[in-house]
Amino acid sequence: MSKTREMTAPLLEISHLSVMLKKRRDRLKAVDDLSFKVYPGEILGLVGESGAGKSMTGSAILGLIDPPLYISSGEIIFDGNRIDQNASSIRGSKISMIFQDPLVSLNPLRKIGDQLVEAIRTHINMSKAEAFDRAKTLLAEVGIDPRRINAYPHTFSGGMRQRVVIALALAPEPSLIIADEPTTALDVSVQAQILDLLKRLCRERGTSIILITHDMGVIAETTDRVAVLYAGRLAEIGETASVLNSPRHPYTKGLVAATPRIDADSYKKKLFQIPGAMPDLEQIPQGCAFHPRCDFANAQCKIQQPPLFEDRSACWLLKDGSEIS
Amino acid sequence: MLIIILRRLLQAVMVLLFVALISFLIFRFVGNPVESLLGQEATVAQRAALENALGLNDPIYEQYANFVWRALQFDFGNSYRGALPVAELIALRLPATLELAITSAIFAVIFGVITGIYTAINRGSMMTNFILSTSLVGVSLPTFLIGVLLIWLFSVELNWLPSFGRGEVVDLGWWTTGYLTVSGLKSLILPSITLGLYQMTLIMRLTRAEMLEVLRQDYIRLAVALGQSKRQVYFFHALPNILIPVITITGLQLGSVIAFAIITETVFQWPGVGLLFINAVYFVDIPVMSAYLLLVGFAFVVINLVVDLLYLLIDPRLRDGQLRKEV
Ligand SMILES: Nc1ncnc2c1ncn2[C@@H]1O[C@H](COP(=O)(O)OP(=O)(O)OP(=O)(O)O)[C@@H](O)[C@H]1O
Ligand SMILES: [Mg+2]
Repeated sequence: MSKTREMTAPLLEISHLSVMLKKRRDRLKAVDDLSFKVYPGEILGLVGESGAGKSMTGSAILGLIDPPLYISSGEIIFDGNRIDQNASSIRGSKISMIFQDPLVSLNPLRKIGDQLVEAIRTHINMSKAEAFDRAKTLLAEVGIDPRRINAYPHTFSGGMRQRVVIALALAPEPSLIIADEPTTALDVSVQAQILDLLKRLCRERGTSIILITHDMGVIAETTDRVAVLYAGRLAEIGETASVLNSPRHPYTKGLVAATPRIDADSYKKKLFQIPGAMPDLEQIPQGCAFHPRCDFANAQCKIQQPPLFEDRSACWLLKDGSEIS
Repeated sequence: MLIIILRRLLQAVMVLLFVALISFLIFRFVGNPVESLLGQEATVAQRAALENALGLNDPIYEQYANFVWRALQFDFGNSYRGALPVAELIALRLPATLELAITSAIFAVIFGVITGIYTAINRGSMMTNFILSTSLVGVSLPTFLIGVLLIWLFSVELNWLPSFGRGEVVDLGWWTTGYLTVSGLKSLILPSITLGLYQMTLIMRLTRAEMLEVLRQDYIRLAVALGQSKRQVYFFHALPNILIPVITITGLQLGSVIAFAIITETVFQWPGVGLLFINAVYFVDIPVMSAYLLLVGFAFVVINLVVDLLYLLIDPRLRDGQLRKEV
């Protein structure tokens, strides 16, 4: 798959994106020189601990960065056009979004059908009646009885509501969906259903997904490629199988080791934890942001920020193409 | 749904009975009706006869029941002064007060909601800051002072608007209205502003706070992320969600507008029930006072009832009896 991917043009290309936070006199970097691509039809995972800048990256793509935050440098190119200056034209129509909590993602006072019709007619020129029919089809596709089109959100369970939200996101036929922790608020069995549904519908339509999560399990089951973020920087990026099976960056190794595995004697082992915590924006260390928590850090790591080696991992230990053990 | 409405109606009746009780107690025990009616020179026999005639010797609960029964038929007894039926006095003056209250409520709601939404959407703009700081003046000045200032500016200095009375009114038989003549409308302006200014500020601040709160909600962020226009976001998504608290406060305020009309009516010599009440207090005209109390209580209860029924109309979650939104 990776060969064919390199030959097609990327759907979304982010290069050297930085997002700054203005705090009185200070300028803090929340997203730092981030570059990655999303190809048509693929599911890219964005993973990292809380505060890594995952949501902010998603907001930046949609042009939803508001003061005191601002995009300080970089380019976002979607389908051949720069959108970092003017994202409103693609918002919703070409790129749409799904948020974490389905309980608050729907307007409580509007029938789900009305909300769908509103979302459809915002981007597609059709009559109310046509949009209504389309809304019904969409509901059926996400596994909701179309006869409930006139129901209010509060009559649905969390999982059902997230299905409605997915229908809402798919309504204008976007080519990219940014899903920000779409299943975190749901219980585990529902999580799997929702992810399967999202994956299936996007595969059918050739829609790409950026799936934001902090759950390595979700990454493993759902994504084609994964980008690991740490303190607003890209730590590692690559094919999901490769990154999970042979992580190159010590942070990725830590994340993988910290993921519970269900096997016969898993309950005996104490789960690994990466020592320390992600730094606040004010206290991002010099050099590699991860070095204070890293077992392998050397003198260079403390001074200089590592570039991305081999299009894969930003870690000085990979400088000579050698792998750390 | 029906049960919710019935329960709410029952509550309203209970509250009204309680208001009636207080009003009855004032009627019965403040001052002495016999003395007020007969004067101090009356003989013991005359007094006893009147006491019997008025039913003052009946058991107290019977008197209360009688009071309620008569009130239901708009019989509040006769005024001590002039001996006219109280109901007639009030009916004569109610149109003036209601027109004043309604005009000022409409003024307060329209300007309050518009400026509230405007200042929420345009946070930090010059205009917003100006509106917010002038509105502070609106809440901190007492009503009578605002009235006097308005009279001084628009009646005395500029001579644009009348300073007292209702102007010419048209008699429709059961109602007198100032809405149909130029002088009637002009006369309404200053008192309405005076009476409605405080409520307007309140509604504005509430609308603004609610709007800011709603705009932070995920469904708004989602609507923006899905590319919906500002108009769609503000009017399709945000506005319905601020209606409940705004209607609540507006309703409650309408009640107090009627109650506080007393001050405005005094300042502008507005011939409404408020002024009637002030004069009644002055002459210790107990039946008028107790009827006025009953009237204001009734207005509050009815308005609250309407507000609650409007909730049901707006919020499907309440219709299903699922949750009671705290406001
Ligand atoms: N409006 C804001 N003002 C100030 N700081 C902010 C703001 N929004 C985000 N941040 C900071 O920017 C950093 C990145 O935030 P972001 O929400 O992108 O993290 P995340 O990776 O999505 O985390 P989570 O998993 O908790 O959602 C965090 O340190 C956060 O505290
Ligand atoms: Mg987030």
